[in-house]
Amino acid sequence: MRLMGFSTGALAKGDFRAALQILKETHVNAVELSALRQNELVPLVRELNELDLREFRYMSFHAPSVMDSDFEPTAIEALQDVYLRKWPIIVHPDALHDPSRWEPFGDLLCVENMDKRKPIGQTAAQLFKIFEVLPRASLCFDIGHARQVDPTMSESASILKCFKERLRQVHISEVNSESRHDPLSMESILAFQKVAHLIPESVPVIVESRVCKEEVIEEIQNARKALSFNNVLAIAGD
Amino acid sequence: MAPEFAVGEYKAKVYSSLDELSQSEIVAVANGSGHASLHRPDGMVESRAMNDSLSSIPRAPELLELPPLASARKLADTMREELDVLLSGPIPKYTSEDTSLVVFGSLARGEWTSAGDLDWTYLIDGQANSDHLRIAQSIRKVLKENEEKFRAPGQTGTFGNMAFSHDVIHQIGGQADTNRNTTQRILLLLESAAIGKNTQAYERVIRGVINRYLEEDNHLLIEKETRYRVPRFLLNDIVRFWRTMAVDFASKQRDRAGEGWGLRNAKLRMSRKLIFASGLLVCFGCSLDSDLQKKISPEKSDRKLVLVNYIREQIRLTPLQILARAIEQYSVSKKIGDQLFEAYATFLSLLDDESSRGSLAKLRAEDSRTDSTFKRVREISQKFENGLDVLFFENSCLAPLTRKYGVF
Repeated sequence: MRLMGFSTGALAKGDFRAALQILKETHVNAVELSALRQNELVPLVRELNELDLREFRYMSFHAPSVMDSDFEPTAIEALQDVYLRKWPIIVHPDALHDPSRWEPFGDLLCVENMDKRKPIGQTAAQLFKIFEVLPRASLCFDIGHARQVDPTMSESASILKCFKERLRQVHISEVNSESRHDPLSMESILAFQKVAHLIPESVPVIVESRVCKEEVIEEIQNARKALSFNNVLAIAGD
Repeated sequence: MAPEFAVGEYKAKVYSSLDELSQSEIVAVANGSGHASLHRPDGMVESRAMNDSLSSIPRAPELLELPPLASARKLADTMREELDVLLSGPIPKYTSEDTSLVVFGSLARGEWTSAGDLDWTYLIDGQANSDHLRIAQSIRKVLKENEEKFRAPGQTGTFGNMAFSHDVIHQIGGQADTNRNTTQRILLLLESAAIGKNTQAYERVIRGVINRYLEEDNHLLIEKETRYRVPRFLLNDIVRFWRTMAVDFASKQRDRAGEGWGLRNAKLRMSRKLIFASGLLVCFGCSLDSDLQKKISPEKSDRKLVLVNYIREQIRLTPLQILARAIEQYSVSKKIGDQLFEAYATFLSLLDDESSRGSLAKLRAEDSRTDSTFKRVREISQKFENGLDVLFFENSCLAPLTRKYGVF
C-alpha cells in the first residue's frame, strides 16, 4: 500500500509536536515536518534528535516557503542535518535566491510546483526551466496546486509525464480559490482521479488539508480514493 | 557539480516568459517524443520533418514573410506591449491570477495595421468581485483617452466589457449561449492574446473550453483506436460561428442602415474566413497529425488530456501561421500557397492604406459594383477563396474530412 501521511503544518500550524502526537494516534506511516515560516526552521532542526519518529516509514522536510536572502545561508546550513538523514527537502522554487547553494543537496532537493499566486513553477514549461538550473533536483508534485492552475488536469498530466523520473513525493489537498489548503471535496477527488494512473504506487503522498484530529482518518481515506485509478468515473470517449 | 548560475541569472531564467521554451516543447517531451521542437523566428513550431525534396512546396516561413505580413506581425507584438505599458501606469496590476485582459481581432492575429480597432474583454475566472467592473471601466477610460492609437471596439457590446469564465465554459449551445457568448468563446480559441504578465486566467479558461468540447464527444478515437477522431462538437461550433458571422453581416447591414458595409464585407471575405479555415485545420489536424497519433495512450483516461494539450498548442499559433503550416504539412503546391498568402497580404496592404480603408468604410452595398477599391477586394477575395477551395476540396489529406465533416 502507498505510503501516506500528513504535513505537521497542516495539522497544527507551527506546533510540530502537537501534530506528531495526532499522527501517532492515527497510525499513518508518513510525515512531512514542516517549517513553512523561516523562524520555525532552526528550532525544528534542533529538535530532530529528540523527536520520536519510529511510527513513520517515510519522512520529509518542508523548508520555509518564503526566505529573506540573508537568511538563505542559515537555512542551508540548518538543512544539512536533514540532508544527512537522507530526507527529501521540499522547497518552493521562488523561495530560493541562489540556487547554486542548494544544488549540493542533489536529488534530495525536492522542488514543488506552485499555485496560481506564485510567479514561477506552475506549469511543466516553467518547471523545465527550474530543473535546468537545478539539474539533480527531484519533484514534489502538488496535485492541488496543479488543479488550481488548470482544472482540466491536462497540465498535471504534462508535468507528471515530463518529470516522471524526478517524481519523489506528492502533496494532496483541495486548494481553494484563495490558495488555502482545504479538505478534499468530491470535485477535487474526481479531478485527481484523472491523473492518478500517472502517480506510481511507490511515490509517498503527504496530505496538506487543514483538518482537525477527528478528520485525519477520513481525509487519508479520501486521499487514497483520489489517487486510486480503479474507480475513475465516466471518462469521455470510452 | 553545482551549475554556475548567479542569483540574477537564476531569477532571469526561471522568471522569464516562455519565449525560449514553448509549451509544445514540453508537451513533446511529456509525451515521449524525446526531443524538443524549436520555435522559429516567424513564430512557427518546427514539429515535424520537412519534405525539402519537393521544391515546388513553399515553406511556411517564406509565406509568412511576404510584405506586409511580417511587419504587421511585428507591429502587433509592439502594440500589445505598448498596451500593457499604457494600462500599467494608471491601473497598476490591472490583471491578477483570476483576471486577464484579452485582445481579439487583428491585434491578436498579428495583423495590426495603422487603423485597426482594439477589441478587448476583461476575462474573469475567479470569485465574483464588484471591483471587476471598476477595473473594466478604468481600462475603457484609459483606452478612450488614447483613441488615436487604440480605436474603440464595435457597437455590438461584444467587446470592451467583462466576460465570465462560467458562461464561456458552461454555456455551449442551448438557450443561454448568446451570440456574444459564442463569439467570445470561439474567438478566445481562434484569435485571442492575453496582455501583460498575468495570463493564468486566460490559460485556464482556454483549456476549460477545449476540455468542455472534448467531454461532449462520446468517442475521442476511431473504432480501431489507432487515430483521434475529428472533435466534432468543437468543429460544429466553429462552423456555426462562421455561419453566424455571415448571418450577422446581413443583420448589421439592416441595423446600421448600410453604414460600414464595405469594410465589414471585406473582413468577412478575408479575415473572418481565415479564422474559420484555421479552426477547421485545427480540428482536422487532430485526426491527421501523425505525431499526435503516436501519443495515443493505452490508458483511456489519458487520451483527453493529451488532446486538450494538443489543441491548446495548435491554437497558440495565429490563423495565418496555422494556414502556412497546413500548406507545408499537407504538401499543398507552391502556386496555391503563394495565391493564398499574396491575396491575404494584399488585403492587409489595403487596410493599411488610409485612402482605401476610408473608402471601404464609407462604401454602401448599392455602390459596391462600381467602386474601384471594392472591385480590388472582390478580386483578392476570389483568389483567396479559390485557394481555400483547392486546399480543402482537392488536397488528398483534407478533402475527405471536408466532405465528411464540412457540410452534412
